[in-house]
Amino acid sequence: MILAEHISRVYSMGLVDVHALRDVSFTIDNGEFVGITGASGSGKSTLLHILGLLDTPTTGGLSINNIPVTSLSEDEKTDFRLNYLGYIFQDYALVPELSVQENVFLPAKARGMTRDEYLQKSREVLTRVGLAHRISHKQYELSGGEQQRVAIARSLINNPTILFADEPCANLDSKTSRIILDLFKQLNEEYGQTIIMVTHEEWHEEYMCRMIVLTDGQISDQRECRRVRRDPQE
Amino acid sequence: MSLLKVSVAFFLALKSVQNGNRFTLFLTIAIMGLVFVNLVFLPSIISGVIVNYNAQSIDYTYGNLVIEPEEQEIYISNVASLQQKVNQIPNVLGSSPRIQIGATYNYRGKTMSGSLVALTPRYDEQVTKIHTKIIDGEFLSDSDTDSIVLGATLAGNIDKTKDKTDSLGGPTVGDFVRVTFNNGVERSMKVKGILSSGVYSVDQFGFISTKEMQEVLDIGDKATLLLVKMAENGNENQDKLLLMEYGIREEIKTYDEKSGRIVKDAVTAFEIINAISTAVSLVIAIVVIFIVIFINTINKRRQIGILKAIGIHKNVIVLSYIFQVLFIATCGSIIGLILAYILVTYLNINPLVFPGGAVYPIVEAGPFIRSMIFLYLVSLISGFIPSYKTTNEPILEAIRGQA
Repeated sequence: MILAEHISRVYSMGLVDVHALRDVSFTIDNGEFVGITGASGSGKSTLLHILGLLDTPTTGGLSINNIPVTSLSEDEKTDFRLNYLGYIFQDYALVPELSVQENVFLPAKARGMTRDEYLQKSREVLTRVGLAHRISHKQYELSGGEQQRVAIARSLINNPTILFADEPCANLDSKTSRIILDLFKQLNEEYGQTIIMVTHEEWHEEYMCRMIVLTDGQISDQRECRRVRRDPQE
Repeated sequence: MSLLKVSVAFFLALKSVQNGNRFTLFLTIAIMGLVFVNLVFLPSIISGVIVNYNAQSIDYTYGNLVIEPEEQEIYISNVASLQQKVNQIPNVLGSSPRIQIGATYNYRGKTMSGSLVALTPRYDEQVTKIHTKIIDGEFLSDSDTDSIVLGATLAGNIDKTKDKTDSLGGPTVGDFVRVTFNNGVERSMKVKGILSSGVYSVDQFGFISTKEMQEVLDIGDKATLLLVKMAENGNENQDKLLLMEYGIREEIKTYDEKSGRIVKDAVTAFEIINAISTAVSLVIAIVVIFIVIFINTINKRRQIGILKAIGIHKNVIVLSYIFQVLFIATCGSIIGLILAYILVTYLNINPLVFPGGAVYPIVEAGPFIRSMIFLYLVSLISGFIPSYKTTNEPILEAIRGQA
């Protein structure tokens, strides 16, 4: 469970302080698929970065599964990200010098899995995202959607407690976006994967359990979503 | 750092080398190779100069030790007795009395001043190798009179343009040269041989037999120098003490002390040039690797940010860059080694000719190991600084690529 209490984030831009987040509090239960949305500059990415330990709140507290993560050292945060969190970035963020499988197994290798274990696990997750046939390809040989699926496979390999996705469909067409969102939904429904996703597309709500709406750095709305069951072949 | 982190860093470095920009990689390795050659080559030439100078001083000029007259004396008296005494000292292979005076040479109206050296060939052959350097005619014998061996530089050539310095204009074997001794005695001497040792000072001398010099100067059993050849080179300072322990009262100098400061100054100048060249090479190596790694890390700022975001420790990322520069330094050293080997082999076949003779490059372990250590050290420093700087950026700034 994620417990965010009175989180604020202030950036100093010269003489001006910019309040990206103001006193944001909420909880997210394990197994939820939560969207964070809002207008540009509303603080949604800032919130995701703080939840994903990529940024530190100016004030407020954050605990994940009862661990007060804001008080962890930089090295401890790195270990926490490796062991408990998964990330999917807008522009895929793959390492171009690595093959598909190498990109996927890198976090597992860093976590200490044996060679046999990380090769097998990487094949499993690549199969799960439908890219088993692309295992030895390089990033430049893949389409945008395929690259994002590799990024998803990489984020899944260490069985993260929470999966963070920062506008994962921003660079994809609607058809490919649906493939990615179906994959998220499947992970959430079949494997109970907690997913927190930043989006600015209203129609993404149909895949989510809950939507947190930010306006000017504050939560202006939290609503349950009506999930639509979709045939992945559609 | 755990073995696991080292393994991940090695993996990242390996993939970067395998799949990164190969042109940049090869260019960097080539520059490192040339830096390595520069670090090894100049010291090898300086070593060659020093070894050449030492060998020539011992073999053609002084032997290992030189016994000179006592203070205020011009000659060593009772030199035969002294020679006998010296020859009985352990490790002494032989000794050669010499009388060296100033003289004037005249050949077909051309007059030159220089040194005239008297020696006894059967003794001198035990000490020096000048008798092996006759390029025309033959060397002296003990009983020669009215015969002279001329150094090739002193004799010179008929065609003056071939001479490096002023000369007698090319007397050849069988010609007569008029020699005026320092006591005013003049003698016409037949050129018995021309000697070319490659040692500038030796090739400017004229050589006659001791018997003739003693007769002209009327000095009897005397000499101006007694050259001493020891069983082994390199122990001259201990050998000098040994001779003193055996009661040699005359002044004893090592060949190094005797040869004065000219060559030492030249070697010192070479060493200064070498130090400057080494420093410049190392600065070039630092700058090149620094720029390559800096540009590499700047280009990969976002990638470094992503790696940190997915849980790769920053010290793992820094270590991966360290592995890359170690790879570059190793490949650069190997290429440098091959280039240096080719260069040294070529110069052993076609040696550089210095005023003191042909100089063969000598690659010694010391400068070689020092070059390797320097190269690795500068690689580590110039690889560490930019990678450390970039990996210490906040993750989000790195990912966004903000300045």
